Amino acid sequence: MTLLVLAAFSVGLTLLGFLVSPSALRGLTLLGLVLALLSLLLTWGEGFAFGPYRVDGVSQVFTLLALLGALWTVGLVRSRRFEFYLLVLYAATGMHLLASTQNLILMLVALETLSLPLYALATWRRGLGLEAALKYFLLGALAAAFFLYGAALHFGTTGSLEVGVAGEGPLYALALGLLLVGLGFKVALAPFHFWTPDVYQGSPTPVVLFMATGVKAAAFAALLRVVAPGAPEALGLLIALSVLIGNLAALLQKEAKRLLAYSSIAHAGYMALALYTGSLEALGFYLLTYVLATGLAFAVLSEVSPDRVPLESLRGLFHRDPLLGLALFVAALSLLGLPPLAGFWGKYLVFLEAAQAGQWGLLVLALLTSAVSAYYYLGLGLAVFQRGQAEAAPRPWARSAALLAALLLLFLGLVPGLVLPALAAGS
Amino acid sequence: MVALAILLPILFGLLLLLGLPRVLGVWGAALSFLLNLYLFLAHPGGVAYEVQAPLLPQAGVYWAFGLDGLSALFFLTIGLTVFLGALVARVEGRFLGLALLMSGLLLGLFAARDLLAFYLLFEAALIPALLMLYFYGGEGRVRAIYTFLLFTLAGSLPMLAAVLALRVLGGSPTFLLEDLLAHPVEGTAAFWVFLGFALAFAVKTPLFPVHAWLPLFHRENHPSGLADALGTLYKVGVFAFFRFAIPLAPEGFYALQGLLLLLAAAGALYGAWLAFAARDFKTLLAYAGVSHMGIAALGVFSGTPEGALGGLYLLAASGIYTGGLFLLAGRVHERVGTLEIGRYRGLAASAPGLAALALFLLLAMIGLPGLSGFPGELLVLLGAYKASPWLAALAFLSVIAGAAYALTAFQRVFWEKGEWRMEDLKGAEWPFALLAVAALFLMGVFPGFFLKGLEPLAEAFARILGGGA
Repeated sequence: MTLLVLAAFSVGLTLLGFLVSPSALRGLTLLGLVLALLSLLLTWGEGFAFGPYRVDGVSQVFTLLALLGALWTVGLVRSRRFEFYLLVLYAATGMHLLASTQNLILMLVALETLSLPLYALATWRRGLGLEAALKYFLLGALAAAFFLYGAALHFGTTGSLEVGVAGEGPLYALALGLLLVGLGFKVALAPFHFWTPDVYQGSPTPVVLFMATGVKAAAFAALLRVVAPGAPEALGLLIALSVLIGNLAALLQKEAKRLLAYSSIAHAGYMALALYTGSLEALGFYLLTYVLATGLAFAVLSEVSPDRVPLESLRGLFHRDPLLGLALFVAALSLLGLPPLAGFWGKYLVFLEAAQAGQWGLLVLALLTSAVSAYYYLGLGLAVFQRGQAEAAPRPWARSAALLAALLLLFLGLVPGLVLPALAAGS
Repeated sequence: MVALAILLPILFGLLLLLGLPRVLGVWGAALSFLLNLYLFLAHPGGVAYEVQAPLLPQAGVYWAFGLDGLSALFFLTIGLTVFLGALVARVEGRFLGLALLMSGLLLGLFAARDLLAFYLLFEAALIPALLMLYFYGGEGRVRAIYTFLLFTLAGSLPMLAAVLALRVLGGSPTFLLEDLLAHPVEGTAAFWVFLGFALAFAVKTPLFPVHAWLPLFHRENHPSGLADALGTLYKVGVFAFFRFAIPLAPEGFYALQGLLLLLAAAGALYGAWLAFAARDFKTLLAYAGVSHMGIAALGVFSGTPEGALGGLYLLAASGIYTGGLFLLAGRVHERVGTLEIGRYRGLAASAPGLAALALFLLLAMIGLPGLSGFPGELLVLLGAYKASPWLAALAFLSVIAGAAYALTAFQRVFWEKGEWRMEDLKGAEWPFALLAVAALFLMGVFPGFFLKGLEPLAEAFARILGGGA
């Protein structure tokens, strides 16, 4: 149903795009996304299968998050060219598909369906994101190749294209490793993160919002399925590298988008901790808080400037516009994981999973790097209160979305228990 | 009842943050104080006024609060100190709002019967403290914030690991204190769990050598002393050792007891030494705090009922007199514009009331019999002597040193001949002085009345450790 809505709107609007004005198309895109969300919520907890397309709890939770990201992005942008909205819709379709299949080939198709529009979106402002888009494209293609090799080897060793089939032997391990590399690129786990800072910095901010929320959610859904039979040992290495490199490199950043790029690498590392037990609740909740907080941060940045945002340019934002300033402060503290904000519970649940899996070494490393991260999140959050001349003229949509997200972060922090049963119902 | 007592200051704090006038905050603080006083006086013993609401039941976390004798005593201390601060500190409404917000979080922290709820409030109280420092602090506040935050987080994140380990390895179904106590961890795990707790609580005690954030924190905070008074109340380390860390992982405590006793004693002496050398009044109080908390920690670490009783009583009493001294320093700063010792002399001639109040508070701090610091120090001495006579002797050098630094400072500021003139107590400062002095006397003369709710707890504490009477 969700897939039908998304696909129908994508194709239908492609044709309509030549007839109606871009702003009408924007409205239709929003309508499509909202309808898709509704169809998702109405069938919450119900499974559905059609060939390799299979809707289950994992698919619903991660699709929900990806759609939220898409909705937010479209809400923030008023493009004069109608292609922008279409590309977001196509990417959202790909994300839903990626989250809703266990078939490796369909996964690959979905991965490309979501990636190709994003390559184009990265260059949406002429001349601005070309280098970033090229880098994104080349490394994305490489990742797809790795994924394909992995799929082939998986088929060769287990005789099946369905993930979740347990196999053995060095070739099977290699297959899992290659799949891990392919998806590791998409979720930006170190050492496959090199594209992230450049792409985040170089792309238009609303697009980065989409990349950081939607792509990450969809790719984590696939990752969760791939490592479900038993997490490979290499995963621990990826996590350790991600939390170390992400947090330490973020300390040195002077530009907000780049800083958040490294923060997203570190967060990918934390989220991957939940893969050990394969807990949908923990990973889903973490992603929810992460999507809200990081989306909020990028939404605020996009109101400050569509291009680069040096940390100095955020100074005085609170005095210029208290709502935006406070929103960024809340987002930074939630990303840091300071109670009573929702980010704390995300971290708590994920760390609890790691403890239950007996990964004490990784857990301690994750906690220590969290402490390190306080330094740069605080720098980001407090910058808005400092004296300075921040420019910001937020539009009503950005304002209300920021207010909503900030309130949700606080609300989820105070009563996290309300959402978890819904996540659990899906699984 | 407890929920109301916790939510009341938070509600008033939020209202003030929204821009309501300051006087509302004073009423809020007064109301909160009266409610806490009632809760303390009507406390029936045991764990009373319990409330429980699910916070994250799937993961075994509840908003569980209740008052035992210990919590009730701290409710009284916090209510009184915050009310005193609201009375005299000349600050704008929003500042008072943050202070009330923080006091509500602190009340919750002392009443928490769920380890994770405690952790949550322990961390959440950081936010108003940081905001007060950021918006109303001095020149070097950003550095002070970073130091404070990094010390705190470096401690509290290992604590989170310990919290998780405690439940996963101990097999407790929830984080409720009763459940956790019924499922202790043992062996090496207990050592690591205790170490995680110890790091976090040592920072907040503050125990030597992780006290370094404290002087900076106080020096940079607003001169009114309101933030400092709340900062003093935030030093919950000793309480948390007693309530959580030691009973939940006694084996780990045994392994580290010698080291902790040594650190506490060394910290007491070192703090006193630095207080002696301090150039301004706030730094002096900050180091005096380090010294006193060293003594309080020594009492709890001794593992004896007397020591624990004394340490906790000292903690409660010091909230009032150290907080009161910070507020008093704020009054002096407003009149003469500096807190440097030696810049002004002979203030007693023009402001005898203020001088008398300062003398009372300082004498309580150095443990003069009859004032509130004395019973605690005496009990700690008794307990610590049982555990280690040498360290007890060493630590109690700092009490003597305390008399030296406190009285020297007092003499230089108030008595030596000088030209300075200063206004005496006025307006709201009179009730402030009377209330503070009354509290000092009552706590000094009738310690039994305040300690009756604590005794069974201290006995139980010593029983867990296998000793006690």
